[in-house]
Amino acid sequence: MITVSNLHKYFGELHVLKGVDLEVRPQEVVVLIGASGSGKSTLLRCLNFLELKDEGSIVIDGQEIDPATTPLNKVRENVGMVFQHFNLFPHMTVLENVIEAPVHVKHIPKAEAIEQARQLLDKVGLSNKGDVYPEKLSGGQKQRVAIARALAMEPSAMLFDEPTSALDPELVGEVLEVMKGLAADGMTMVVVTHEMGFAREVADRVVFLDGGTIAEQGPPGTFFSNPQHPKARQFLSRVL
Amino acid sequence: MTSFLHDLIATFPAFTRAAWMTLQITGISLGLALVIGLIFALMKVSGLKSLGIVYNGYVGIIRGTPLIVQIMWLYFGITHFVVLSAFWAGTIALAIHSGAYIAEIFRGCIQSVDRGQMEAAQSLGMKRGLAMRRIILPQAFKRAIPPMGNQFIIGLKDSSLVAFIGITEIFSLSMDNAAVTFKQLEFYTIAGLYYLAMVALFTYVLSRLEHRMDTAK
Repeated sequence: MITVSNLHKYFGELHVLKGVDLEVRPQEVVVLIGASGSGKSTLLRCLNFLELKDEGSIVIDGQEIDPATTPLNKVRENVGMVFQHFNLFPHMTVLENVIEAPVHVKHIPKAEAIEQARQLLDKVGLSNKGDVYPEKLSGGQKQRVAIARALAMEPSAMLFDEPTSALDPELVGEVLEVMKGLAADGMTMVVVTHEMGFAREVADRVVFLDGGTIAEQGPPGTFFSNPQHPKARQFLSRVL
Repeated sequence: MTSFLHDLIATFPAFTRAAWMTLQITGISLGLALVIGLIFALMKVSGLKSLGIVYNGYVGIIRGTPLIVQIMWLYFGITHFVVLSAFWAGTIALAIHSGAYIAEIFRGCIQSVDRGQMEAAQSLGMKRGLAMRRIILPQAFKRAIPPMGNQFIIGLKDSSLVAFIGITEIFSLSMDNAAVTFKQLEFYTIAGLYYLAMVALFTYVLSRLEHRMDTAK
């Protein structure tokens, strides 16, 4: 589904990703964890080309993506993204947020898009919020709308960049529930999160980044009970 | 006081015609300035260096020189090459002048929209142009209304400077009346009252518009 090889990324002098290799299989849920500054968010953003790699290759659905020659908007149509700060469009209602890309990117008829959007809002538990503006929603509701908005493009994979980090603690659960549902439906997911409970319960594989490289990865059972890398042990002792 | 009222009433028809001229010059020049300003602002935020240099040159020169110099330059300069009436020379000069300030307003408002909005739009498969049109500009335009209202008021009052290339509008009419009657104070006060009335009307319309935008979100 997604194959990353020898990925390097610099921000000026700062070498953020130092040769990352990562393979995400169809229907797999991969959780990226690591201390802040370890490069996990940068890696995720590279997968959607919101950051452009400096070296290495990214292959999505069998096609190597070269930002210079591949129209990135076409690639992104197929890979959904959910942001830490939701980034809902404030000048549009919830429903308009969800149908925006299907109507204006995929050019599907508006009535059809609305029908699909209603089903998605129902799926994230917000079927009664279609006509309100994002500012009237709680953080958890906003993030669920953002998930519905990304799903409306019917992507084959979803990227989550710390989707619950900006939420009040009591609102984290409702977003994680929606994500669990997606995973159960077989969505391919790459998730950057600090929610170790979610990683343990939902992830097929946990990938631990340290200093811009993958220090350790494995199934959550093994990783959480018996981490090998000293940095991974240190990290887990702090967050668990 | 009665003589002042008499002057005000006696010159009312002439001043109404002059006010209509002021409104035409202001309306056309600001309409053009909006187009110029938006085009230049989009050039600046395009990220292309060459377009950014063009923008800096335009805004730098226009903001760096007085409007009256720009009006004279256009009226006496351009008319060497093309036939341009005083009306159009003045209107175009005002448009180019306001355009620079309006470009700065648009640029600032576009850049004030959170980066995450463009990222979210792009992550949904939108191209930059589509994202700009559907997502960024509607938010930027809403933020632009208060500073734009300010700029429009300045544009209305700045139109008085075309009096110096012989257009009969409010200010030149009061100059003429003042010169003939020696009632300088009275006729410049009358000019002030007409501008005040037009600005008050515009401010009212603007506040209604802002209110409507607020309730309609």
